Amino acid sequence: MIEFRPVELTSAERQLRTEVIEFLKAELPLGSFIPGLGMNAAIDREFSRKLGEHGYLGMALPTLYGGHDRSAVDRFIVVEQLLRWGAPVGHHWVADRQSGPVIAKFGTEAQKQRFLPDICSGELGFCIGMSEPDSGSDLASISSKATKDGNGWVLEGRKIWTTSAHEHDWIIVLCRTTRRDDVDDKRQGLSQLIVDLKAPGVQATPIPFIDGTADFCEVVFDNVFVPDDLVLGEIGQGWTQNTSELAYERGGPDRWLSSYLLLEELLRDEASAGTDVPTALLDLVGDAVANYWVLHHLSLSVARAIDQGGAPAIESSLVKEMGTRFEQDAVTAVLAYLDEAPNTSDRSTLGRLLITAALTQPSFTIRGGTNEVLRSVAAKGLRPSGVTR
Amino acid sequence: MSAADPLLVETVERLLANVCTFDEIEHAEPEGWSAATWTALADAGFPLVGIDEATGGSGGTIFDAAAILSAIGRFAAPVPVAETALTGGWLLARAGLALPDGPVTVVDDQSSITLVGDRLQFDTTVAWARHAERIAVLATANGSTTVVSLRSDQVTVTPGSNLAGEARDRVVCNLALRQAETNIVDITSSSLVERGALSRVVMAAGALGAVAQMTVDYTNQRHQFGKPVATFQAVQLHLITAAQSAVRAQMAADIAVRALAMGDASFEIAAARVIVDDAITLGTRAAHQAHGAMGVTREYPLHHFTRRLWAWRHEWGTTRDWRRRVGERSIAVGPDNLFAFAAD
Repeated sequence: MIEFRPVELTSAERQLRTEVIEFLKAELPLGSFIPGLGMNAAIDREFSRKLGEHGYLGMALPTLYGGHDRSAVDRFIVVEQLLRWGAPVGHHWVADRQSGPVIAKFGTEAQKQRFLPDICSGELGFCIGMSEPDSGSDLASISSKATKDGNGWVLEGRKIWTTSAHEHDWIIVLCRTTRRDDVDDKRQGLSQLIVDLKAPGVQATPIPFIDGTADFCEVVFDNVFVPDDLVLGEIGQGWTQNTSELAYERGGPDRWLSSYLLLEELLRDEASAGTDVPTALLDLVGDAVANYWVLHHLSLSVARAIDQGGAPAIESSLVKEMGTRFEQDAVTAVLAYLDEAPNTSDRSTLGRLLITAALTQPSFTIRGGTNEVLRSVAAKGLRPSGVTR
Repeated sequence: MSAADPLLVETVERLLANVCTFDEIEHAEPEGWSAATWTALADAGFPLVGIDEATGGSGGTIFDAAAILSAIGRFAAPVPVAETALTGGWLLARAGLALPDGPVTVVDDQSSITLVGDRLQFDTTVAWARHAERIAVLATANGSTTVVSLRSDQVTVTPGSNLAGEARDRVVCNLALRQAETNIVDITSSSLVERGALSRVVMAAGALGAVAQMTVDYTNQRHQFGKPVATFQAVQLHLITAAQSAVRAQMAADIAVRALAMGDASFEIAAARVIVDDAITLGTRAAHQAHGAMGVTREYPLHHFTRRLWAWRHEWGTTRDWRRRVGERSIAVGPDNLFAFAAD
């Protein structure tokens, strides 16, 4: 059944948290950079490299490949502080969260040696190659396909909603390697390929996003040759591998912290105004802080469960589903409290963040698996007890 | 030691499953409590778990006491265990006053109590008063606090009940202190109110867990359109909401109990009250919607839990006050320290 055990951080874990905070204060002092909203924060290769130097990337990956053999909780502690700071995590985010771990889990020795050290040093940026124009929540219905050709595969198809494909280096593509007609179940015959985004035949085109930014891309693969040594895991096992990859995407602090800085900046503004605290602000902050408090503990509990060998897929789906809704509620609450139209002429930190948050908040409950899909995943874990009182 | 004794939990659950049945809860309502459940629990010493043996309690940790209260919530047991273990009995024990064999209750509304000279006065609603052997009062005057242990013949009790039919009686007191057992203690009224609020948090989390499970069970048994209603996505939304409400409340309760075990839990208890109140609104609404008409009948047990949840949320302070307390504390630490404060 569903289980969330409260976590008590060890003194080493508390120490790590203190170190990360000190690192951020030194490297990114308040006012020295434009903070971002959670994982949507800016791409800054230099900052990613610094994180790598400090051992804050690939934390749970093996030391043999440049990682640090640390735990999911250690990684949680680091990313929670990075996100809460609005640090520019865009370059390494996907590589550190999921591409590195899946390569470590399913990759060949050669692939681990080739990719993991550069992921851990913050050099490489990865993309997620899952969604397609006609396949979103029904992911197994994808039509991108790879055909065997000599010592490799020829990939054809298109991926969509791919963050920063025009900036990043590699993409892990889920594609069909056995024709749909030749398998009983659509989840069979799928494979994952590690594809060089600079390879001939790969074309990444930005799709202008709702806030006018252009990080979102469509990626077209036109007869792209992928050598055998870039097949990730086993041919035909793509669905299972991909499902395991999704587990890394869900339940972490990136799923409830996206709008946190609005609250902090609002309080900074209100404090400098120096007036008495209105009760409406007490209500807003009381609600928000209670929710950050409990989401932090629930999300941390998922990380500890992973370290203890559990597979908290249901728990992480529940956390992501409610965490992302809370992210939206927090935006709504701050906008309602201020009760004035956001305007682009406001270049204050709060003003900038508000505009981005107001425009991009619908994506919080969509990216990384829609809340509808998460609910159906979680519902499978809600089993009858067989005993009613 | 940061967990309850598993054997204790198992024993309490077995006892409640046997005694505190659907019929017993129904029959308890006109009386305002279940005497049979109280007797069974008291015979085993459970209502005094968490109070030191040296002061007349049963021993055990705050984690043990919370585990018993969680079971009280999970079984909708109409008994004054929270008041005896965590608040009223705790006050008597801390003051070195005798703990009676029977139930202890406590005056929760601190603003209703006046102590002028030797005269103690209050007129307020007190949980379980008509069944309590002692009513504990924490009275503050001239900077010192006094615990008073009142007998039922020293007050006037008019029966009343909460939404769940649990005794919530009007108690009027106008008494010279020299006529009562008293002792001066070093306890603040806020520490008493926090313990009271925590008791409701823990009980509500237990009840929300039962509600969530009951909703899953019912929707898997109930067939419409030829299949269990739990297989409909529209219904699954309710199951998810009920489950999320239960896990949020339980985590809030667990962290708040742990904080109290370590010392100052004023922030955690206030935050937990905010979370639990929201969880009660969302969880009970989702559970009732998923149950359809069956859930609003007396013959089906959902109301034993939902009515209690709707009643408990109003006890030991209002949600508005607890929320503002969280807001005040959070604003006071300053924006730079806000996150460390919220997510520690």
